[in-house]
Amino acid sequence: MSVTAQLVLNGVMLGAMYAIIAVGLTLIFGIVRVVNFAHGEFLMIGMYAVYLLSRHAGLHPYAAALPVVLLLFAVGALVQRFVIQKLLNADEHIQIFATVGLSTAFINLALLLFGADLRAVDVPWARQSAAIGPFNVLFGHVVILAAAIALVVGLHLFMQNTALGRAIRATAQNRYAARLMGVKVERIYIIAFGLGAACVGLASALIMPLYPASPTIGAYFVLTAFVVVVLGGMRSMVGAFLGAMIIGIVDSLSGYYIAPDLKEVVYFAIFILILIFKPTGLFGFGRGTE
Amino acid sequence: MRKRLTAGAGALFVLALAAGLSPAAAQIKIGALYPFSGALALLGDESFRGVELAVEERNAAGGLKGKKIEIVKGDAVDPSQAVGEARRLTSVEKAPVIFGTYSSSLSLAATQVTELASIPYFELGAVSDPITERGYKFVFRTNPTAKDFGAKTVDAVLDQIAPALKLDGKALKVAIIHEDSLYGQTVAGFQAARAKEKGLAIVETLPYSAKSVDLTPLVLRLKSAAVDVVLQTSYQNDTVLFFRQMKEQGFKPKAVIGAGGGYSMVDTMKAVGADNMEGALDVDFTQYRSNPAGAPGIEDFVKKYQAKYGTAPRSGHSLANYMGSKVFFDAMEKARDLSGAAIREEVMKVDVKAGTTATGWGAKFNDKGQNERAEPFLMQWRKGELVTVAPDSAAVEKLSLSAN
Amino acid sequence: MPLLARLSDPRFWITLAALSLLVVVPVALGSPFAIHIAVTICVFAALSTAWNIVGGYAGQLSLGHTIFYGIGGYAAALLIQHFGLTPWIGMLIGAGASVLAALAIGYPCFRLRGPFFALATIAFLEVVRLLVIHFNGFTGGSAGLIVPLNIGWAWMIFQDKINYLYIAFGLLLLTLAVSSAIRDSRLGFYLTAVREREEAAQAAGVDTARAKLSAAMISAALTSMIGSFHAMYLTFLEPATMFSLATSIEIAMFALIGGLGTVAGPLLGTLLVVPLAEAARGWLGAAANGLHGLVYGVVLVLITLTLPGGLAGVLGPRVETLFNRLFGPRKRAEAAAPPARRVEGAPGETVLETRDLRKMFGGLVATDDVTMELKRGEILGVIGPNGAGKTTLFNQMSGFLDPTSGHVAMRAPGGAMTTPSSPDGFARLGMGRTFQIVQPFGKLSVIENIMIGAFLRHPAVADARALAHRVARLVGLDHLADVEARNLPIGDLKRLEVARTLAIEPSILLLDEVMAGQNQADTQKMVEIVRAVRDTGVSVIAIEHNMHAIMSLSDRIVVIDSGKVIAEGDPAAVVADRKVIEAYLGEDFADAQGL
Repeated sequence: MSVTAQLVLNGVMLGAMYAIIAVGLTLIFGIVRVVNFAHGEFLMIGMYAVYLLSRHAGLHPYAAALPVVLLLFAVGALVQRFVIQKLLNADEHIQIFATVGLSTAFINLALLLFGADLRAVDVPWARQSAAIGPFNVLFGHVVILAAAIALVVGLHLFMQNTALGRAIRATAQNRYAARLMGVKVERIYIIAFGLGAACVGLASALIMPLYPASPTIGAYFVLTAFVVVVLGGMRSMVGAFLGAMIIGIVDSLSGYYIAPDLKEVVYFAIFILILIFKPTGLFGFGRGTE
Repeated sequence: MRKRLTAGAGALFVLALAAGLSPAAAQIKIGALYPFSGALALLGDESFRGVELAVEERNAAGGLKGKKIEIVKGDAVDPSQAVGEARRLTSVEKAPVIFGTYSSSLSLAATQVTELASIPYFELGAVSDPITERGYKFVFRTNPTAKDFGAKTVDAVLDQIAPALKLDGKALKVAIIHEDSLYGQTVAGFQAARAKEKGLAIVETLPYSAKSVDLTPLVLRLKSAAVDVVLQTSYQNDTVLFFRQMKEQGFKPKAVIGAGGGYSMVDTMKAVGADNMEGALDVDFTQYRSNPAGAPGIEDFVKKYQAKYGTAPRSGHSLANYMGSKVFFDAMEKARDLSGAAIREEVMKVDVKAGTTATGWGAKFNDKGQNERAEPFLMQWRKGELVTVAPDSAAVEKLSLSAN
Repeated sequence: MPLLARLSDPRFWITLAALSLLVVVPVALGSPFAIHIAVTICVFAALSTAWNIVGGYAGQLSLGHTIFYGIGGYAAALLIQHFGLTPWIGMLIGAGASVLAALAIGYPCFRLRGPFFALATIAFLEVVRLLVIHFNGFTGGSAGLIVPLNIGWAWMIFQDKINYLYIAFGLLLLTLAVSSAIRDSRLGFYLTAVREREEAAQAAGVDTARAKLSAAMISAALTSMIGSFHAMYLTFLEPATMFSLATSIEIAMFALIGGLGTVAGPLLGTLLVVPLAEAARGWLGAAANGLHGLVYGVVLVLITLTLPGGLAGVLGPRVETLFNRLFGPRKRAEAAAPPARRVEGAPGETVLETRDLRKMFGGLVATDDVTMELKRGEILGVIGPNGAGKTTLFNQMSGFLDPTSGHVAMRAPGGAMTTPSSPDGFARLGMGRTFQIVQPFGKLSVIENIMIGAFLRHPAVADARALAHRVARLVGLDHLADVEARNLPIGDLKRLEVARTLAIEPSILLLDEVMAGQNQADTQKMVEIVRAVRDTGVSVIAIEHNMHAIMSLSDRIVVIDSGKVIAEGDPAAVVADRKVIEAYLGEDFADAQGL
């Protein structure tokens, strides 16, 4: 019994990590409607940035979050402005391939600049376990969970209560109507993409103490992030968070009770079932068939 | 008389001119097929450095058959590219031999090509057994295979670990965990077979994806089963993850043995922390803290590596490739020409005693091209260094395990 | 197009000659490496062409297509290993397995559009790959399968590399031929229609699910066969490469770069990218790790930015113009128009009925217990204010909307009253309908639009075309036959909609505001067309706001307001009804009519 509880707790922590990555993807996928295959590489860029700031500027990785968030916002905005925007009215397939090209380019750029070695930063207390009753959690994971919750709540409030947030939601629902209402759709997309990338920037600063950076680190997270986003329903931050929790817990439980090499099969199977039977996602308000 | 001299000089002059004009004749090309990019880039590049150093050394000593050796690199990320590069190296670059490859799947694909073309393929680091079990005539390998790794790790449990713990080997609860690509599956398969042979109790066999972000469920499974000894086959990321999460979950097996891969790399230890890795065992190609008496030339190799690349070697792969290159260069030197048949003839005659090369391996090739005098050594992480503990000829320290 | 006619077209021979350079050049160079490049190009071009049948023609972006490639490869290899079966047969068995897989994936997933479908295919691919790794006892797992080097045609393994090229080239020709055949056939037209406007296609009787599944099965079989061949070529299979996500994306990318939905596009894309990638690796691979990958990625992004229409979009029209100038316009098989279909059935019998039909959207009652019927050979007018629920009623009568409760039935050709289960089912039984907002297939020409409807009862392309011309003449659009629909003004588009609907040779016609937005002359034309159609035995319901038209056409009128029928009967009586004047017509109209 306590093993199950430990697994669930572990799943929640894992879920928090996916959540913080998936929130950014929800913004990009849900608003700009682009399947951003380069999303994992945003994470990778952020992680290398944290590494460099930590090694050469002596910044604590958590402190590096701020500059990295700004950096990733810029990267996302630039990608949207100079790549995706040109393809806004083209076949949606083309947008996907543009992001695939970006993904390949980024991975190889990292390989060129940093080599294939693992780069880690040292934050010993992040990997200390705190005991919660009979269970162990890492401080680093607790930080991520707290950040994920704060991020989701913050973004939710932003979307609901600010003019910009409303403009973003309107654009997501119907960009032609939004344009007619005076919303500068191109600017909204740039902001949304930048914001999505910035979220990943935050994620990278918090993940760096727990995982070393390498050129292909993005691939470890990106497919799962997509599963989470679809599961959560594409327009909802809260949905993405809950979806991430579910995936994390499923990941943990199936790794133990079924087999560690089949846990991806389990959640991809869940993913397929959701797409077939409830494409709006478990919590979503989008229309999955469009 | 003068006419003859003039004619002779003229002929010599023309010959010299001809030799200068056809650069191919002044050099011997060797193909070097490795994964220089992609997921295996790190160790692909590391492996290649061994070849590069061997070539430099040889060229400085006069070259091969009096000619300089020129390396032509071939980069492959998947078997299809391996086939393409093998073709390019042999038919466009006209390299008479190919050295490689670290990655077993690349090697398997490329050798299918070279065998049909009767071009010798010198495998210096890939471990999958079928590479030299297909009965091919032109594939030769100097390094030990997955079967050797499997056997060594299992034997270590019974012959080294159990005595050190003062426990009965067959009473120990052993788990085999491995990443699920070719490397992990192959070694783990042999471990399972050897364990059965020797009566070792395997209580859990858990494959996992090398790209896992979380191994906690696996660690908890091991903990629930009260596993005493863990046999792991893993790359770098998953080794780091496993050690970290063992600590997080408070799982302390009596011993952990890796089969090379991430277990042999300094960066792994740095990421895990020297304290956390203390005592972990590793079966792999010869690493650098080995007794030079048993592996003559190893210290020179490290010096040369440091001088050329500016860092210490990142793993023992470069050493293995270096040793193998030298063995094959010697065979090529003795061969009457560079045809496949001639080289094979010489390779079959190779007879190098164990303990006389930089890796400590000997060299004698069986009919299928596999070196039967290569064996992986047993190493242990001690105070942040990977030291050889067995066999005795190469050992620097004795194995020590705290019986907890 | 019949084979003989095609063989006599010089275009065919020039294309074949150009293609055969893929074989001729490597043979002339005599280099095994050149042969390898040529084989790789043929394999990827064939894979991409096969992919295009689903991704380009059917418009479903599959990013997991290597699932079929892998099934083909493993099937052939495993059958050799366990049964010593020749890969030529193994190839066919693998193709069969892939077809089943395509059905299993396509059936539930084709409803998903765009990125969702793509993600679903990726999920399927990953699941299969992980399972193949897991069950390593059977499949060899990650250690891979080695194909034994038995030499000879029976085993598809050769000393002389050129034979591989012959087979690869043959497969490429096969996929190109199939792709071309589909494009020029009914299936090709249907796929284009489904891709552009699924609902309009259904109204024209296209079973969209079946069209897409056909495309998927054909594509899967071809992809699988190529996988079997490639496995014999590489002689080494492992799950990571046979079920590779990266390769899936690559073949889709080649099709995209070359031009989705064209026959030559995928080949052109492959010809551009593969040599580029090989060259990059050859030149740059040695320089620094990752450099060639970086260049490759950047070039891909640049290509997607500069050629979104694909190479075929740029080169195609120029080549076409050149060919036309050299050889004259493309010959098309001509056929005589099939005889006009007379509608059978007893006069005065009910052909369409609704009983207590009710439709609710949330709390809103859109259709409120509507009971009405359409009799054979009559023109029934439906009028009422905006938002009354007339179109909603139409949608329920034609299968596009399921009623919340109540009953809709139409008379099938056999005589029984039935309720088909899908919009295309209604269409196939003889119900034709137009849409209030026109739904033309923009990229198709006028005649091709009409052909989509004509195909329902005339599967042969020549027959459908001839019938389409006849219908076009009937509605007065024949002079615009080859104009692309998206260039037409609204009046012509309305007539085009009617024409397409007439081409299915319906026995019941539902017209939704076909006179809207047209001038006097066009309206008069439309009235004549409707009368002419009724005279062939078709029963018509027309929703209209144009009172003159509806009064002169209708035998009976039904008035709908707020989802309910408020009046029904003889046009003159209905128009004088107080309720109708208040709800819809207005006092001015009544005065003008002298009521």
